[in-house]
Amino acid sequence: MIYGIKHVLKYALGQDIAGRTLAVRPDDTFIVSYPRSGNTWTRFLVANLLHAQEVATFANIERLVPDAEAQSSRYMRRIPSPRTIKSHSYFDPRYPRVIYIVRDPRDVALSYYDFSRKYRHIEDGYPLERYIGDFVAGRLISADWGTWGENVASWAFARGARPGFLLLRYEDMKERPDQELTRIAEFLGIAASPKLLQTVLDRSSAERMREMERTQGKDWVSTKDKRSDIPFIRTASVGGWKSKLRSESVAEIESAWGNIMAQLGYELITRKAENAETQFAGETVLGEHRG
Amino acid sequence: MRKLIRGMRRALGLHHPGRNLEVWPDDVFILSFPKSGNTWTRFLIANLVYPETPADFSNINRLTPDPEAVSKRELAKMPRPRILKSHQYFDPRYKRVIYVVRDPRDVALSQFHFHRKRGLIDDGYSPERFVARFVAGETSPYGSWGENVAGWLATRQNRPGFLLLRYEDMLEDATRELNKVASFLEIPPDAERVANAVRRSTADEMRQLEKSQAQLWSSTKRTRQDVPFVRSAKAGGWKTGLPEAAVAQLEAAWGHLMTYLGYELLFPAKTTNFDSQFVETLLHGPSR
Repeated sequence: MIYGIKHVLKYALGQDIAGRTLAVRPDDTFIVSYPRSGNTWTRFLVANLLHAQEVATFANIERLVPDAEAQSSRYMRRIPSPRTIKSHSYFDPRYPRVIYIVRDPRDVALSYYDFSRKYRHIEDGYPLERYIGDFVAGRLISADWGTWGENVASWAFARGARPGFLLLRYEDMKERPDQELTRIAEFLGIAASPKLLQTVLDRSSAERMREMERTQGKDWVSTKDKRSDIPFIRTASVGGWKSKLRSESVAEIESAWGNIMAQLGYELITRKAENAETQFAGETVLGEHRG
Repeated sequence: MRKLIRGMRRALGLHHPGRNLEVWPDDVFILSFPKSGNTWTRFLIANLVYPETPADFSNINRLTPDPEAVSKRELAKMPRPRILKSHQYFDPRYKRVIYVVRDPRDVALSQFHFHRKRGLIDDGYSPERFVARFVAGETSPYGSWGENVAGWLATRQNRPGFLLLRYEDMLEDATRELNKVASFLEIPPDAERVANAVRRSTADEMRQLEKSQAQLWSSTKRTRQDVPFVRSAKAGGWKTGLPEAAVAQLEAAWGHLMTYLGYELLFPAKTTNFDSQFVETLLHGPSR
């Protein structure tokens, strides 16, 4: 009952976390991904693209590209339209325009392990193998995100190849950032000069973000009161799982989501995908700009 | 002030939780996009699971409650495992789902008539215009037909805890399909019990009940009584009921999904470039 009253008051005052109750506007654009998939990087890229006169930092990112799952309903209401909003939610039909970033779940799992230690959800000695089991089953993880497979498949299949949906692979963004940034700019309807694109990439580099995390991490909603000995901006690399995950763990991930992975162009090493044509089919959903 | 009153109702558990339902891991959901045979499936399952209480429109929300029509308090008091009705788009908390899918061309036609019944559109409203809104997902709060179906299938098909039923297969052989449900719910095989459930849930039976009980049920009271809720209960009505342009719109949007589900296209060449193989492969899931 006490909880009930607190909840009612928070709700009436607009202090509840927006999350899935966010009042979505028709001109909202969302940056969506499963956690640990390059969302913060993309957020900085988009913020720096949209606000060239104001360099994105951890001190202003919640204003430039607010996090619907960290900010209150009232805060979100006060952001002027058109808003660009960050989210980790699994499919939500109300989101009108979505930039969706996907990353190899083997790397996501590894990154999530460090993140869970940073957030003190697990101890340092928690076995990585056990954590992978939790990751695949969706334990230790907010019900609002779903599992990696649920999040990715619910978005990619409900919206893939429909207007208003841009699917990006983190790995492509690492390999050819200028090209992928151009796709983002086109999606947002921004005519960006090569000079602006370069400025945006420089302002959003992993080194700069690491530096900002050091100086501003204690003020940012996603890093304050968390362990500061484990960075939020981690390796920002591709394929770390190859040396860090045991083959049993890789097999566990591939057994759960191998088909989705194959569709997205992530090569399986412990099993075969179901169909030889997956590569071609994946292209049709990922768009013509790939590869 | 309105917010505060709404808040107090919430605090007392008098509101209908809808998507904010508190979910138990043993909850079973009878799920579909609207107008896809959900009510029939509800009757079939209620009559199968609770053979001592013949289902009707006055007790269906007690036997298989709809979280959008029943209060949070009542839902919390129900004995477990609960069997719930839902139209929700993908929700990862739902662990046991019986998903009913129906040819979207028939769904669109049925929803067109349902919206007339509810007075949301008038009788002269153009079907093409309705279908354009249907494709855009503007005719229901549960995502578009394609979003609802693809969201569930891509995440759950061929995984434990998910049973896909086609409305058309149920029409063809309800007993066969209800046997699948019985085995999904781990109800011991009992031909008599299944046959009784099918008999008590025929379209004629339900039409009779609607006539006498329409004012007792949340989905039909305060709606036009000259347009029935239990409509034709047939497959393929779209062939005569929908203009070709509307059919083309539906197929252009979801041809790949329809093909996957075995719904033959009228305009196969005009479907999107979204390769059906893509869906097929993903939906085969890890178990195959």
